Amino acid sequence: MSEHPVTLVVNNRRYDLEVGGRPGDLQPTHTLSYTLRETLGLTGTKIGCDKGECGACTVLLEGEPVLSCLILTVECHGKKITTIEGLEDPQTGKLDPIQQSFIDSGAFQCGFCTPGMIMSVKALFAGNPSPTGQEIREALSGHYCRCMSHYHVLEAVAGSVPKAGGTDE
Amino acid sequence: MRSFQHINVFTLEEAVSVLKDSGGKAQVIAGGTDIIGVLKEQILPDYPEILLNIKAIPDLDYIKKDHEGLRIGPLAKLAGLAKSPAVREKYGALAQAARSVGSPQIRNMATIGGNLCQETRCWYYRYPHSIGGRLLCLRKGSGSCLAVNGDNRYHALFDARRCFAACPSDVAVALLLLGAEINILGIGGKRTVYLQDFFHPLGNALEPGEIIGGIHIPTPPVGAKQQFLKFTLRKPIDFAVVSAAALIVLDGGICTEARIALGAVAPGPRRFPEAENFLKGKRLETNVLEKAAGIALEGAKPLSKNGYKIEIAKTLISRALSACLENESFNH
Amino acid sequence: MNKENRFIGKKVPRKDAADLVRGKAQFIDDLKIPGMLHAKILRSPHAHARIKKIDTTRAKELPGVEAVLTYEDTPVWRAGLPSHIGVLSNTVRYVGDAAALVAAVSDVVAREALELIEVEYEILPAVYDVLEALEEDAPQLYEQFPGNRFPLACPWMGPESLQGIFMGDVAKGFAESDIIAEGSCSYENLPNPLPLEPPGVIACWEGPEDLTVWASAQSPYFLKITLHYAMGRINVRSIASHCGGSFGTKVLLWQLAFYAAALAQATRQPVKMYYTKTEHFAAYTLRLGSRFRGKVGIKKDGRVMAVEGDWLINTGYCSDAAQGMVAVGCGELQLMVRCLNWEIKPQLVCTNRNASKMVRGYGGQELEAAFIPVLNMALEKGNIDPLDFFRENFVKPGDGYYWRDGNWWVSRGIDYGKAMDRGAEVFGWKEKWKGWLRPTAVDGSLRIGVGIGVHGNADVGEDVSEAYVRLEPDSTVVIHSCLSEHGTGQRSSLCKMVAEVLKLPIERISVAPPDSLVNPYEFGPVGSRGTYAIGSAVIRAAEDARRRLLERSATVLNVSADDLDTEDGMIFIKGKGGGKSGKKIRWKDGLGFDRTCLGHGYFEPDFSISNFLMVFVEVGVDTKTGKIDLRRVVAATDVGKIIDSQSLKNQLHGCLGSAGLDSAIFEESVFDPKLGRFLNPNMLDYKWRTFMELPQFDTVILETPMDTHSFQSVGVGEIVNAPTPPAVLMAVSNAIGVRLADYPLTPDKILRALGKA
Ligand SMILES: Cc1cc2nc3c(=O)[nH]c(=O)nc-3n(C[C@H](O)[C@H](O)[C@H](O)COP(=O)(O)OP(=O)(O)OC[C@H]3O[C@@H](n4cnc5c(N)ncnc54)[C@H](O)[C@@H]3O)c2cc1C
Ligand code: SF4
Ligand code: FES
Ligand code: FES
Repeated sequence: MSEHPVTLVVNNRRYDLEVGGRPGDLQPTHTLSYTLRETLGLTGTKIGCDKGECGACTVLLEGEPVLSCLILTVECHGKKITTIEGLEDPQTGKLDPIQQSFIDSGAFQCGFCTPGMIMSVKALFAGNPSPTGQEIREALSGHYCRCMSHYHVLEAVAGSVPKAGGTDE
Repeated sequence: MRSFQHINVFTLEEAVSVLKDSGGKAQVIAGGTDIIGVLKEQILPDYPEILLNIKAIPDLDYIKKDHEGLRIGPLAKLAGLAKSPAVREKYGALAQAARSVGSPQIRNMATIGGNLCQETRCWYYRYPHSIGGRLLCLRKGSGSCLAVNGDNRYHALFDARRCFAACPSDVAVALLLLGAEINILGIGGKRTVYLQDFFHPLGNALEPGEIIGGIHIPTPPVGAKQQFLKFTLRKPIDFAVVSAAALIVLDGGICTEARIALGAVAPGPRRFPEAENFLKGKRLETNVLEKAAGIALEGAKPLSKNGYKIEIAKTLISRALSACLENESFNH
Repeated sequence: MNKENRFIGKKVPRKDAADLVRGKAQFIDDLKIPGMLHAKILRSPHAHARIKKIDTTRAKELPGVEAVLTYEDTPVWRAGLPSHIGVLSNTVRYVGDAAALVAAVSDVVAREALELIEVEYEILPAVYDVLEALEEDAPQLYEQFPGNRFPLACPWMGPESLQGIFMGDVAKGFAESDIIAEGSCSYENLPNPLPLEPPGVIACWEGPEDLTVWASAQSPYFLKITLHYAMGRINVRSIASHCGGSFGTKVLLWQLAFYAAALAQATRQPVKMYYTKTEHFAAYTLRLGSRFRGKVGIKKDGRVMAVEGDWLINTGYCSDAAQGMVAVGCGELQLMVRCLNWEIKPQLVCTNRNASKMVRGYGGQELEAAFIPVLNMALEKGNIDPLDFFRENFVKPGDGYYWRDGNWWVSRGIDYGKAMDRGAEVFGWKEKWKGWLRPTAVDGSLRIGVGIGVHGNADVGEDVSEAYVRLEPDSTVVIHSCLSEHGTGQRSSLCKMVAEVLKLPIERISVAPPDSLVNPYEFGPVGSRGTYAIGSAVIRAAEDARRRLLERSATVLNVSADDLDTEDGMIFIKGKGGGKSGKKIRWKDGLGFDRTCLGHGYFEPDFSISNFLMVFVEVGVDTKTGKIDLRRVVAATDVGKIIDSQSLKNQLHGCLGSAGLDSAIFEESVFDPKLGRFLNPNMLDYKWRTFMELPQFDTVILETPMDTHSFQSVGVGEIVNAPTPPAVLMAVSNAIGVRLADYPLTPDKILRALGKA
C-alpha cells in the first residue's frame, strides 16, 4: 500500500514524516507520544502509564487536550499539535503565565506530572477564561500526581486564571 | 505495539468491504482509547493485521435532532454528547452518562460507537501479557471462567451464565433507558437492533464484518424526567461499580411512565420491568421508591464477592428516581 | 538566636522550577546514550518453578536482537539482605520473576524476542500467606532460609541492629494493668507507592571493571556502594537523572542495574532497562505485609504497662531492606507509646509474590497500622480520648528508647505537646470527638466520624553525609553533595543554607550534578534526614570554606581572620571602622583570581532527636453505599525552623499519595491466590485520589528551635503518611459505630459491617 508522508504541525513547526520500515521512519504503530519524544526529540511530554490512565502525556490536538499515548501518529496527518515546549515565547523565552504561576506556587514536587497538567490548564483557559474551582478540578481530574502537589497546583491555576471572576458553586 | 497495517477508509461502505476482504484480520479503530490499550497489553491471543481507521470518514460525528428523535453518528465524541444542547435538553441521562466516562482527555477522544463496542474490563480478561502471560478464559474461547471462583467483586449480578463479566459501558445504560436503536452496517446491508438486544453474554450483536453506522433515540415522552447516576470507588477517573438511570413521567403526582436501567450488573445494561410496573399508577413516596428498588434487585444472583453491589444498586435506583422527582442531581 | 534570615524560611523558587515547567528537566527516559540498546524481561507465569530447559535460539536469531541471557550465562552478582538474589536464577519465585533478559535495538524488537524464548518449567508448590509459609510442611523458597524465615540482622545498621522490642517484665506489666486488650489486625493490602515515573537504569561499561550507571535514583551514591559490593567490588560511577518520584522505592535500584549491566556486558553497548507501568505494578516495590497479634495492658489513666505480641511480616519473594524496616518500625513504636515492658517478636517471612521493599513509612507505618487497632481496643475499654493518650505517651525529652542500631538513646528533642494541642484546636477535636464508636454527626444515611494518628522517627539524623563547598574567585559557589532531585526540593534547600552561611545571593549558588564521580559520600535523602543530616554536612562545608576564604584574605589585608566577615561576595573588617562601608575586597582579591577554595563537611549519625507528626481526619460514610468521603485532614508538626514552606506543605500533603492514607480507603494490590497473580496492575483498577476528591487540608507547622544545626530544624519526609491509615480506621469505626480492622475499607467491607451485604 502506498504511504503518503504524514505532516504534523507541532508548536507551529511543520514536520513531514515518511511512513515506512526504515530506521527513523514513522511506523503505523507509533503513538503520538512516541513520535514527539523519540523522533522529534520533544521529551517534555512525559509517559507515566502509556495507557490513558494518568494524564502525564497530555498534549493539545487542534487545541483540545488529548492523551498522546493513545493516539496513532499516522492519524494526526495535517493536525496542529501543541506540547509543553510550545508554550513559551519562541523569541524571548518568556514563559506562559500558567508556567510562571506553577513556579510561583511551587506547584510540583518531582515534576513528572507537571507538563501534562499545564497542557490541560492551557486548554481549559482557552475555552473558559474564568473557570470556577469546580471546573478547574474537573479539567485536572484525569491527572495523577503521586507526590500530592494538588493543592499547590490549584493555587497556581487560580493564580493564572486569565479573567478572574469565576466563583465556586 | 506489535506491527499492524493502518488503513484509512473514507466511507462506511468501504469500511465494511475492507473488513470483509480481510477475513477477520482487520479491526476498526475509532477514538482508540480502548483498542490501543488492548493491543499494548496484548491481552488477546489474536492480534489484528490491519487497523481500519474510520475517523477518516467525513461527517460521522453528527448529533442531529429530527421529528423522530435524535440521531447520533458513531464517531460522535463523548465530550460533544456531554455538551450538546440537544442532548442535554431532552436526553439528559445520556449527557450525564457521557460526562461520567473517564477523564476530559478520554472524552475528547472516545466515540460513542467505541464506547458500545469496548472490550470487557474483567481483570482476568485484561490481565497483561507481559507479566507471566495473558490469562485465557471462556470469553477468549479457551478454558473456563476464572472470575466465578476468583475475585469477582465487580462482576455481574444478573443474566450471566458462563462468563460473569459486567458490561462496562456507561453510555449504554442511558441509551437503554431512552430506548435507543443501533443501526448496523454489514456486507449484506443495513439492519437495526434495539439496544437491549445489542449486548450478548460473550460480546455483542455485531457479526464479523459489521460496524455501527449510527444510533437513533426516539423522542422521550413529554414531561419525562431522567437521571443517570454512577457509583465508583473514587471520583473520576473510574469505571462504574454500579450505574443506574431512571426516567419517569408524572401526571398529577401519579406515575404514568417509569423506566429503570442498571449498568455494570449484567452482560449488558438491564431494565427492570417488574419494578417499573410497580411504580406506575402510584404516588412516588420514598418508601415506594425503595420498594421498587427492592423489587428490581430481587432476581440478583450474587457471586462470592459481589453481593455488596445489590445494596449499592438499590440505593442508586431510589436516588436516581428521587433525583427525577426533585429534578436535581446527586453525585452518587 | 539567629538574626533575620535572608533565605531560610523565605519563598525562593526551586532551582529546577523553570526546567520542570518547560519540560526541560531530564528524567531517565529522556536520556539518550549513543548506541543504547533496550532491555526487556521474560517474566515467569508460575509463582514457584524450576527452569528445566530454556531455549533462546530463535530469539537470538531475530534481527535487531543483540543479546539474550538466562541464568546459565549471567554474571554471579548477588544482592539482598542477607545476599540471596542473583541476576537470574534457575528458580522463579513469583509470577513475574525474571526468567530471561533481552537487549535489542528497540523496545518492539526486544518484546518480539521474548515471544520466541521457550521455557520448560517444573512447577513447584507455592505459598502466599504469612502463617501458611511458617507451617512446617510449607513449600520452601530458599534452602538457606529454612522455615521461610529471613534472619533479622541488618548489618549496615550495626552489629546489634534492633530485632524486636524486648525490655522490662511484661508479665508484671500486665498484672499491674487495669485494662488488657487482645486482638489482631492485618495491614496486608500491599499498597503500591507508585511514583508516576517508573524506575529506570542505563548501564554502560567503560572497562572490564568500570561501570557507569544513569539511574532515576533517589540516592545515587548509595547505589554506587550497593553495586560495588554486589557486583564483585567493581568501580561504579552513578549518575542520577531527575527522579520522577520515589518515596523510598528508587533507593535500591540494584535489580534494574543488574539486568542492564549484565546485558551491557554481553553486548558491549549501553543498555537501558526502563520498566513499563505494568512492570512497575507487578514486579517492583510493594509495602510490607504486616500482621500484629498480641495484647496491650494499660492503666485507667492511659499509662501503658505492657505490650506483647507477634509481628508477622510478609516481604514477598525477597528482602533487601525489610530487616532495616523492622528495626526502625520497632524503634518508632517506642516513640509513640511510652512503656517499660515490651515483648514484640517480629518474624520476617518470604512468600511467592512480588517483593515488598523500601518505602516511605519504612516499617513504622506497617507496624503501627496493624498494632494501633489493637491498642485502640484498650483505649475503647477505658474510654480514653486518643488525643489525651498520645499527648501523654509520645516521646518526651529525656525519655529513652532502643533505636535501630540496638542502642539505648535518650531524647534530646522537644516536647511536641504544643503542636498536638494546636492541631487539635485547628481541627476542632474537642467538639468532634464523641467517644469511641460514636459518630460526630449523623445526617440521614451520612455518618461522620473522626480519628487521629501520630508518628515520629528518630531517623532525622541517621547515616553519614559528606559535602564539599567550593568557592570560586568570581564569588559563585558550587555545592558538592551527591543529592538527586526527587521532589522534596532538597537541592534548592541546600542552596538556601549555603547562601545564608556565606551571605550571598542565592543565584550565585549551584549544586554539582548528582554524580558519584564528582561528589563525596552521601547516603541520600532517605527517611527524613535531608534537612538535619545532609543539611549539617553542607552547612559545615560552607563554614569550613568560609573560614579558609577569610584566612587567606587575612594575609592580604594584614588582619586576623577572626576580624573578617563576608557578604555579597565582598570581604571586610567587622565592627567599628570597618563594616561594609569600610575597606573591602572581592573574593578574587582574597583568593587570587586563579584559585578556588574548598570546604569539607560531614555528618555522623545521631538518633537522639525525633521528628513528629499528628494527623486528624474526618470522614463521612454513606451507609447506603459504603462509600467513604475524606472530608478533612489536619497535619500538625513542629519542624524547629521552616527552611522552605512550600516544599514542606507539599510534603505534608503527600500523605494522600505514596501508599499512605488511602491504603485505608481504597488502595490495594488485589491478589488471586489461586493464580498467584495480582489482578489490578493498572492505574484504573488500582485506585488513587484525584483532583475531584480533595479534602480540606490544613497544616499546622510550629517552629520550636531544635538542637540540630545552625538552622535548628528537622525534616518530615519519611513520616507524612505513616500515622494516617489507622487514623482513618478509627474515624470510620467511629462514624458507623462498628470496630473495623480490615484495610482498605472498600464499600463491600463497610456494607458487610453494617449487615447489608
Ligand atoms: C482511563 C480510561 C478510563 C475509562 N473510563 C471509562 C468509563 O468510565 N466508562 C466507560 O464507559 N468507558 C470508559 N473507558 C473505556 C473507553 O475507552 C471508552 O468509553 C470509549 O468510549 C471507547 O471509544 P473509542 O472511540 O476510543 O473506541 P476504540 O478504542 O477506538 O474502539 C473500541 C472498540 O470498539 C470498536 N469500534 C469502535 N467504533 C466502532 C464502530 N463504529 N463499529 C463497530 N465497532 C467499533 C473497535 O474495533 C474496538 O474494538 C475508559 C478508558 C480509559 C482508557
Ligand atoms: S468473567 Fe468472563 S471475561 Fe472474566 S474470567 Fe470469566 S469468562 Fe473470562
Ligand atoms: S501516559 Fe498517557 S495517560 Fe498515562
Ligand atoms: S509532582 Fe510528582 S507526580 Fe506530581
